[in-house]
Amino acid sequence: MNILVCVKQVPDTNEIKIDPETHTLVRAGVPSIVNPFDTYALEAGVQIKEAIGGKVVVVSMGPEQAADALKTCLSVGADAAYLVSGREFGGSDTLATSFILSNAVKTIEEKEGAPFDLILCGKQAVDGDTAQVGPELAEHLGLPQLTYAMDLTVEDGVVKIKRECDDGYDLMTTNLPAVITVVKLPTEPRYPTIRSKMAAKKKPIPVLTAEDLAIDVSRCGLKGSPTKVKSTYTPSREKSGVKIAGLPADEAAAQLATLLTDAKIL
Amino acid sequence: MSTYNTLTAEIIEQLQAAAPGHVITGEDINPDYSKDEMPIYGTHAPDCVVVPRSTEEVAAVMKICNENKIPVTPRGAGTGLAGGAVPLFGGVLIDTTKMNQILEYDLENFVVRIQPGVLLNDLAEDCSSKGLLYPPDPGEKFACVGGNVATNAGGMRAVKYGATRDYVRAMTVVLPTGEITHLGATVSKTSSGYSLLNLMIGSEGTLGIITELTLKIIPAPKVVASLIIPFEDLDTCISTVPKFKMAHMNPQALEFMEREIVLSSERYIGRSVFPQVIDGVTAGAYLLVTLDANTEDELDTLIEQAAELVMEAGAIDVLVADTPSKIKDAWAARSSFLEAIMEETKLLDECDVVVPVNKIASYLAYVNKTGEECGLTIKSFGHAGDGNLHIYQCSNDLTEDEFKARVDKFFELIYAEATAVGGLVSGEHGIGSGKIKYLVESVGETNMRLMEGIKRVFDPNMILNPGKVCYRL
Amino acid sequence: MSEAYQNIWVFVETECGKAKNVGFELLNPARELADKKGCKLIAVVIGKDVEHVAKDAICYGADSAILVEGDEYEYYSTDAFATALVELIQKYKPETVIIGATNNGRDMGPRVSCRLKTGLTADCTALDIDEETGCIAWTRPTFGGNLMATIECPECRPQMGTVRPAVFKKATYQEGKTGEIVREDIHVAADAIRTKLLERVKEVAEAVNLEEADIIVSGGRGVGSVEGFATIRELADLLGATVGCSRAVVDAGWMPHAHQVGQSGKTVAPKVYIACGISGAIQHVAGMSGADTIIAINKDEEAPIFEVADYGIVGNLFDVIPAFIEAYKKIKA
Repeated sequence: MNILVCVKQVPDTNEIKIDPETHTLVRAGVPSIVNPFDTYALEAGVQIKEAIGGKVVVVSMGPEQAADALKTCLSVGADAAYLVSGREFGGSDTLATSFILSNAVKTIEEKEGAPFDLILCGKQAVDGDTAQVGPELAEHLGLPQLTYAMDLTVEDGVVKIKRECDDGYDLMTTNLPAVITVVKLPTEPRYPTIRSKMAAKKKPIPVLTAEDLAIDVSRCGLKGSPTKVKSTYTPSREKSGVKIAGLPADEAAAQLATLLTDAKIL
Repeated sequence: MSTYNTLTAEIIEQLQAAAPGHVITGEDINPDYSKDEMPIYGTHAPDCVVVPRSTEEVAAVMKICNENKIPVTPRGAGTGLAGGAVPLFGGVLIDTTKMNQILEYDLENFVVRIQPGVLLNDLAEDCSSKGLLYPPDPGEKFACVGGNVATNAGGMRAVKYGATRDYVRAMTVVLPTGEITHLGATVSKTSSGYSLLNLMIGSEGTLGIITELTLKIIPAPKVVASLIIPFEDLDTCISTVPKFKMAHMNPQALEFMEREIVLSSERYIGRSVFPQVIDGVTAGAYLLVTLDANTEDELDTLIEQAAELVMEAGAIDVLVADTPSKIKDAWAARSSFLEAIMEETKLLDECDVVVPVNKIASYLAYVNKTGEECGLTIKSFGHAGDGNLHIYQCSNDLTEDEFKARVDKFFELIYAEATAVGGLVSGEHGIGSGKIKYLVESVGETNMRLMEGIKRVFDPNMILNPGKVCYRL
Repeated sequence: MSEAYQNIWVFVETECGKAKNVGFELLNPARELADKKGCKLIAVVIGKDVEHVAKDAICYGADSAILVEGDEYEYYSTDAFATALVELIQKYKPETVIIGATNNGRDMGPRVSCRLKTGLTADCTALDIDEETGCIAWTRPTFGGNLMATIECPECRPQMGTVRPAVFKKATYQEGKTGEIVREDIHVAADAIRTKLLERVKEVAEAVNLEEADIIVSGGRGVGSVEGFATIRELADLLGATVGCSRAVVDAGWMPHAHQVGQSGKTVAPKVYIACGISGAIQHVAGMSGADTIIAINKDEEAPIFEVADYGIVGNLFDVIPAFIEAYKKIKA
């Protein structure tokens, strides 16, 4: 069983603050972490490997520092890691990112000497929140996909997932190879142990460049991205503090209901 | 024995004039004011609550009460565990939670000036946003800092950074007579007469009401990581503790916990963080250690050193939490111990004895044996690094009277044992009303006489927080 | 390039013959966009026995509808739906395609946009037209809601986006409005649908999950009794909310501890927190001040809860809540 897990290094969005003066994101000092959904995807991959044998490879596209995220993955059960990096890739939207990753998948398969049976992604990255790279990667590779998995198992070349729904889950299957995106798991991702951490430190992380991938660079980066960010702003969170006093209950309640629905709060 | 006067309509009028709009009486008094987190030590409602906004208001109220011999009980967030903020004799309760401003930082002298009602959590977050650290870190993050000072609260980081006492530089106090006085100074040394400042710290609101604090702060360590270290049994776990100091390692926090309480807590928070079986070995106890350093490399070296040390001492494995969310998860289980116990328990009492670090293991063995003999369920955890143990007595089937009788007997035995091995009654929760009996047995009549004498100098009419610490009624 | 592409499409998601609300909701802002651009608004309905959905879509504002029906569309599958939608887009060349950002919409959208090599903006909360470029300006929250970004797709067509449910309101249903319904006979062979739905499992949501709740209706001492919580629950059921409470309530034995918000209970950060008869002691506020919007109902005008509330009513909760329920139902109807 050859398993590939796609991970992204993201700023810890829990630690992000808004500068009260400039109303911009304060990114300085915000730690970089492995995208939390990806840690579930990795844990799922490692659990499958432990159950039926095989190898777990992780890949990340990002700047040089993203190697730190890959080291973290190596310390919690990944067997090998590849970093896809290069200035041609900067500014990629989801279409360009998934195109680059699909090329990386083929290159890594060559290097590893075997095709991947299962490709796992987190359902979305907590910085971009798009949830699009997984399905687009599946499309580029021509593979079936199952998204929003909250549990998954593999048996006899078939992957079975519980797909998250509003009021429960759908039990779904597909034949391998396939792309699965993961929401969470019944168990929390494991902690690294001191031994696994030290072993991970010593493992080399090969970098794959545009040249290594022999990729059409016109389909990468800003050039290859059909969507463009036009502007950004921080939503205002100022308290309006509307207090309705001295009115009969029905009038006060009607006024509140109107206020809340107009402001799209309810 | 003092006798107090009752609060008349006339006195209430005077109070309303002294603290306009900040006086609550009658049915408007929130029943929460009659208890803290340990109602088993008795509950009693105040006759009147004042929620002052300034030192002057506190002083004016105090003066009126002193003149009229009305008992006064100061209270912060009410998170105490020894009954300290319960108005056992009614009268006036002064709620300091509205005096909750962080006033100013002095970054040349590394101090912050605050009002006593600031929540520990708010101070910690505010400091952290400025790259600073207020080191005292009691488990209860929603306590008021004023209350932390009044009990000399300790917490997780005390093993490296010391308790609250080590961070109080100066304070403004309203004495029971209504006089306002300033104790201490921003300076870091003093040899200037009796340390009244230190008398106030840990006096549990019996000597005066703290209305302003100047606290020492430090630059926050740049990087931290926590280690979860499972052991097969408690003995091996505890005996590892002194080895950290011997190896010149100075962890920021060093907590021990038994398997049972970890399981309770994980049930309560609904997620499993601590590994239960590692390579076929079942963990019976854990250490949770936090290390801090100024660079990643320094931290990595520390982690490796610590790992080597504990593995040699018999740890099953070492798990590393080195991202903010992993560290948070690891400590979430620890922080929920009390709540988890409360959730699963109908009747609850606790003690927070402190014993020499090398006596923890044998002392806990004694506690567990005694608990069994007394017919009580015992759950323990604590600050392994400084010998401060939190021992909970739990029951879901005894009557309250039967429970209290068994706990009484249990306490007598284990406090006596604590004294015998060189320990003290309370490490950080205080004496309040619940532990006076055991304090007497532990420190003796001579010391109690000294404490009472001091109390009389501060409070000639004995009106401030009667029935607490040393003033037996 | 964009000459050949025209009109705005809204994909109206269906399952088991029924439309999901979000499709109808999206027809409302899409109608405005179409009017601004002076183009047609077309609803795309794929499903089993869903002609009535196409008719409804017209009554909710679409000029016309494209209808694809077949047994393979009874339940959602990536392969069947993506194949059908791609075929339609290639045939009709819409300028804009708007899809509801449900799990299925976000599963299918990227598959379609990727096959067409065009841009897709995820999980939008506002739509507009950029007057300069004529492109759709897709606005969406990012960085966990800390930042809003406006995104355009200037060169590729169609421009596509998924839009979050419940952000827009449905337009008034225009009884009797008619429009052309074009049937397209597209079928996907069973072996081309590579995923299988084995079973749909409904889980009874009895577990209290305050931490993940979007809306919490919380009661305090002012609720007065166990029976009083029936009123709190009624409001919570109406809003699809989880019931919380203050410590006083737990101490009084009116609610189990699992519902407690605050210092010795759960810390929560829902989108909306409605505090009913809660005075707002710091211990309680500490556990809920992370809520995006705090609404307070309390008879004590001086209650500290009003200091942290975005909206408040001074009044008896047993008068206010039933009146609110009635007013809210009227607005939503």
